[in-house]
Amino acid sequence: MSEHNTNQGSAVRHRHRTEGPQKHVIAFIFSIVLTLIAFAAVAAGGVNASFTIILLVVMAVLQVLVQLGYWMHLKDKGHMIPILFMAFGFFVAGTAVITALYWVWW
Amino acid sequence: MAHAHSVKRHTGLMDWLTTVDHKKIGILYLIAGALFFGIGGIEALMIRWQLIKPMNDFVSAQTFNELITMHGTTMIFLGVMPLIFALMNAVVPLQIGARDVAFPFLNSLGFWTFLFGGILLNISWMMGGAPDAGWTAYTPLSTTAYSGTHGVDFYTVGLQIAGLGTLIGGINFLATVITMRAPGMTFMRMPMFTWTAFITSAIILFAFPAITVGLVLLSFDRILGANFFEVSNGGNPVLWQHIFWIFGHPEVYILILPAFGVISDVIPTFARKRLFGYSSMVFATILIAFLGFMVWAHHMFTTGMGPVANALFSISTMLIAVPTGIKIFNWLFTLWGGQIRFTSANLYASGFIPTFVMGGVTGVMLASAPADYQFHDTYFVVAHFHYVIVGGLVLGLFSGLHYWWPKMFGRVLDEKLGKIGFWFFIIGFHLTFFVQHFLGLMGMQRRIFTYLPGQGFDTLNLVSTVGALMMGVGVLVFLLNVVVTTRRPADAPNDPWEDGRTLEWSIPSPPPEYNFKQTPLVRGLDAYWKEKMAGHTEMTPAEPVGPIHMPSASILPFVMSVGIFVAGLGFMYHQYLVVGLGLIVTFVCMAIRSLYDDHGWHIDPEETTEKGVKA
Amino acid sequence: MSAPHAEQVTSALPHEPEKATLEGRNKVLAFWLFLGGESVLFGTLFATFLALREQIADGPSADELFKLPTVAAATFILLVSSLTSVFAIQAMHKGNRKSLSLWLIVTVILGLGFLGLEIYEFAEYVNHEKFGMTTSAFSSAFYTLVGFHGAHVLFGVVWISLLIGQLAKKGLTVVTAPKIYVSAMYWHFIDVVWVFIFTVVYLLGKVG
Repeated sequence: MSEHNTNQGSAVRHRHRTEGPQKHVIAFIFSIVLTLIAFAAVAAGGVNASFTIILLVVMAVLQVLVQLGYWMHLKDKGHMIPILFMAFGFFVAGTAVITALYWVWW
Repeated sequence: MAHAHSVKRHTGLMDWLTTVDHKKIGILYLIAGALFFGIGGIEALMIRWQLIKPMNDFVSAQTFNELITMHGTTMIFLGVMPLIFALMNAVVPLQIGARDVAFPFLNSLGFWTFLFGGILLNISWMMGGAPDAGWTAYTPLSTTAYSGTHGVDFYTVGLQIAGLGTLIGGINFLATVITMRAPGMTFMRMPMFTWTAFITSAIILFAFPAITVGLVLLSFDRILGANFFEVSNGGNPVLWQHIFWIFGHPEVYILILPAFGVISDVIPTFARKRLFGYSSMVFATILIAFLGFMVWAHHMFTTGMGPVANALFSISTMLIAVPTGIKIFNWLFTLWGGQIRFTSANLYASGFIPTFVMGGVTGVMLASAPADYQFHDTYFVVAHFHYVIVGGLVLGLFSGLHYWWPKMFGRVLDEKLGKIGFWFFIIGFHLTFFVQHFLGLMGMQRRIFTYLPGQGFDTLNLVSTVGALMMGVGVLVFLLNVVVTTRRPADAPNDPWEDGRTLEWSIPSPPPEYNFKQTPLVRGLDAYWKEKMAGHTEMTPAEPVGPIHMPSASILPFVMSVGIFVAGLGFMYHQYLVVGLGLIVTFVCMAIRSLYDDHGWHIDPEETTEKGVKA
Repeated sequence: MSAPHAEQVTSALPHEPEKATLEGRNKVLAFWLFLGGESVLFGTLFATFLALREQIADGPSADELFKLPTVAAATFILLVSSLTSVFAIQAMHKGNRKSLSLWLIVTVILGLGFLGLEIYEFAEYVNHEKFGMTTSAFSSAFYTLVGFHGAHVLFGVVWISLLIGQLAKKGLTVVTAPKIYVSAMYWHFIDVVWVFIFTVVYLLGKVG
């Protein structure tokens, strides 16, 4: 972070300027495509239901990874602790969801 | 040197209402926790008095239900949790060589929100009856059909508010440990109490949101007529049990880990040896926290989840005995060959080890699902969890309070009274709860307000009640000790135990407002001990003497908590105008906090040198 | 340890002003921790919904109720608002206060649009479909989950609006920058939750 204040840092800063928006627009288009696939799969109907469910979940997970990784900068370095805590949060959330699916009704 | 901003320094009551100093907030937590601990203790004594003989009519069945519910809820959420936060506030910043916590304002907000949540829960006694569905509030017992008073509403709303405070406190301590450590204080050089405080805060962060949701669902069912647990409209009561225990089981590790930390700091000090197996202690702490999230359904073996789920949760529960066993052996090996001094703090720590092992052993017995069908809902379970919570956590808390009292108040607690209190408490404890194992095995159910004579329960119940009274005497002796000590001069030296190993013993007792005049440089585990062994009397500073930036005091956290309290009360009675009013107060305070920057103030170097000498 | 005062550093704002001070770094870190907790909060709400989504009692089912075009519109609005919020942070990193304010305003407007759609949807259900909080376990779970998300959006809209005001008054400093950065994190997280809501609640509701 402090490197940006040095002369050397201006190059880094410049690269940020040119690279930034493109990268995020690509991430955005990717998100839109994932969303469209999900909606289209449901709107089309007739497709095997369990296949559709798996597809929907995969699309959702991919999109969340894009959001967390690119837009919330989790893929940048220095994010070890946030990644750890987010991952464990998702892990606990996942146990709750699995519980709801398998151990509430029988 | 002129101050950049003139600051108004409050005195008296205003000082306590507005303080953002973690040491003072620690004392506030201690007072509030002790108050609720006392209330919960009186409830416990009333329960035991009712059960002293068969067919007793000291209290009615309804009152008994309210007493057991409030005893459990008060002790866990409002008694021991704030006492843990009291120690964390008093000690953790000092142990990592920090001038302050990461978020002094949030620290204060966490305390006041907790306090008002606790008050809301407890005024239920005076407002038409306390909650009566057990501390677990199982549905449908806790739905309006079976609990018609506002009691359970006080439970849901009160715990919601108190839980919010706890969550805020937890995030503050996580951030404090991650970012505020002194130079050289790496994670693997942190004292064990700081480690356990850190891990406990992490469990708070991941467990409390689950109960937040659970309480929202239950209050929506009760107040807004939702159908989460209403079977006739498709709801499912087992869902509540899952959500409650997804929170509830990690909660017991939230409670016990700080006690492990206290013991791990007290024993090396009084054995004059470094902690045996420090890295394995850290590893075991993390492993316990991790496994703690995967065992909750062992509370539900008898709901009928089926053999696969029961087997899975049996195994994961038994696995926890492994890291816990590592800890027990490490403490024993630390004591082994040490120059042990049995001060009150160390007596409590030494009493902790065998007592907690007994609770752990019954835990493994309960983890066996087929056996649990026999133990479930009997006094065996009551005996088990009191062995781990009282025999574990409360002994740990008393140990910690005796150990750090001089650091908090500048006075060493009276050793003689401390020891008398210890013997009353621990003998009373074993009298109360050891016999309950057998009561349970003989078939006495928990949560039953009386029993018939001639079942072999009479004598053991009498013994149990006598033990409870002895524990009460032990607590009273501790209070007497506090009063006696407070009347003495505050003359505790920096390192009253003379063998202090960690950073808090390198600064005055109590520490000045800014803790460290110069941030210390940490050169290893047991930082202060290391300097002592190198022949130094104080820490090597990591920075020159300079002005110290301090956060400003603020009344906003108090007002925000009042706002939430009012909103909660309004919600219970369907007064949505009051809800709006309370929330507006809270949100306006949030906006004020955001709009007006807190520049804080500075303490000049001349001031610190002067204070540092005499404080 | 003591942070430099805001006034002293405004002249030369670093590239990532949100991480220039200890206070700023603490704020960003603690907000990540908070989001970890929020994940559990929403995870438990999703678990509740998944457990109860077929328990429709005498009320309408998900398939009868949901209309994909409305959901698609709401999803698109929130996705775009996530992008505008990214642009806002990029403007902040360039030190361009005007562009930052502009993108924040666009984000708020999109957030309001999303809220409007949601309120319209809820009103339709309550008034025309006889689908209220008390109808069935499914309806309770639906309104609680989606309503919790909506309340988060509302809070975000108010919060960001307040920050736009502060930005105008105080300018872009090392004090205001962390607040804006953190609000953007919050906004993205709301979008993350919505991705799961449109998948689990609406699309899976249609699939059955």
